[in-house]
Amino acid sequence: MGFLTVLKKMRQKEKEMRILLLGLDNAGKTTILKRFNGEPIDQISPTLGFNIKTLEHRGYTLNLWDVGGQKSLRSYWRNYFESTDGLVWVVDAADRMRLDACKDELNILLEEERLAGATLLVLANKQDLPGALSAQEIKDILELDKITTHHWSVVGVSAVTGDKLLNAIDWLIGDIAKRIFTLD
Amino acid sequence: MSVVQKQINVSDEIDNVCEDLELKLKNTITPDDVLKLAKITDGFLCSNTNEYQIEFTRFKIRDLETDTVLFDISKDPNVSENNDTTDDNKQETTEDSGRFVRYLFSSSFLKLKHVGATVEFQVGSKDVKNFRMIERHFFKDRVLKTFDFNFGYCIPNSRNTCEHIYEFPKLPQDLIDQMIANPFETRSDSFYFVDNKLVLHNKADYSYNG
Ligand SMILES: Nc1nc2c(ncn2[C@@H]2O[C@H](COP(=O)(O)OP(=O)(O)OP(=O)(O)O)[C@@H](O)[C@H]2O)c(=O)[nH]1
Ligand SMILES: [Mg+2]
Repeated sequence: MGFLTVLKKMRQKEKEMRILLLGLDNAGKTTILKRFNGEPIDQISPTLGFNIKTLEHRGYTLNLWDVGGQKSLRSYWRNYFESTDGLVWVVDAADRMRLDACKDELNILLEEERLAGATLLVLANKQDLPGALSAQEIKDILELDKITTHHWSVVGVSAVTGDKLLNAIDWLIGDIAKRIFTLD
Repeated sequence: MSVVQKQINVSDEIDNVCEDLELKLKNTITPDDVLKLAKITDGFLCSNTNEYQIEFTRFKIRDLETDTVLFDISKDPNVSENNDTTDDNKQETTEDSGRFVRYLFSSSFLKLKHVGATVEFQVGSKDVKNFRMIERHFFKDRVLKTFDFNFGYCIPNSRNTCEHIYEFPKLPQDLIDQMIANPFETRSDSFYFVDNKLVLHNKADYSYNG
């Protein structure tokens, strides 16, 4: 975290964080976003653009950005990298067939300069499904231990039951706060 | 641009100015211009069509305290004038349909604490860069609230949503009484900019005695 970045943050009147949710299509990004905000999750269709939520949480203004993950949309992701403080990488832990693609897409993001200052939270979603891989297994398959460029964590969650979701997001916010707002 | 800003500052002449702007300068209005406005505009500051084909398809308000949807109108883009209200709060349209909304609320609306306001919009085949919304709410000539939000980039042919969840501003009781007693004197202008140029202008007015 450069000094200039710190200064930039401190100049803001409110403590604002920009959090970007990405992942393959059908991973559960929109469901997570709605679950986190107490909205019904039974009628969610694939995202053909973005969904933004701005809200107050633990004294911070969070700007949450959920961008559609269909293949045709992924080349547009880069338009949303700027000023991102936290990247939430959502994985369908029951979709074993696509974990290779999932790993490749994540690695592309990790090399992205404009995401260099972002904390990474990997959510191994759909833990309620019987075939879902655990957070530990997802960590191994995605080789998260190799990441040295970002603060990261992996948590097994279920957007449907809400299990562990809030804790995971609070970890993310806490980590960003420590990195960015320490001079306050 | 300096000419525009100077004129806008003279709020007494604002009605004429708006018409002038609409006629002569409709492609040059910037965020700074509208942030300086001291009251609701008399007319629309730009035409009802925009080259980006940005179209608003849904407005929704929910109360997070009681977890209820207070207001939800959506317009199916494929069926014109298909407005649907799910609540007692009615909505009227006029010839400016699509860019003017009249909200009929009951007085309890002004007592809400924690609300979420959602807009849904779609964009045409051109990508939209640096998309920004400035929304200003007035009661008579008093500013109640200014929203300023940068959506940034919009993908071609995308459908996007944005929900602002916020603490409803605490209004003094005498102001609340006046707002209830004076229907449609509470109004809002929503200005939308692409690359700092005004491309869309929507209006709404509100009553709280329903
Ligand atoms: N069983 C189970 N299903 C889930 C969970 N989270 C999401 N889903 C389902 O997975 C499907 C896709 O969820 P979305 O939230 O639309 O996925 P997305 O990542 O937003 O997909 P795109 O918008 O296409 O990128 C939906 O049918 C959800 O109901 C979960 O934790 N458990
Ligand atoms: Mg989605």
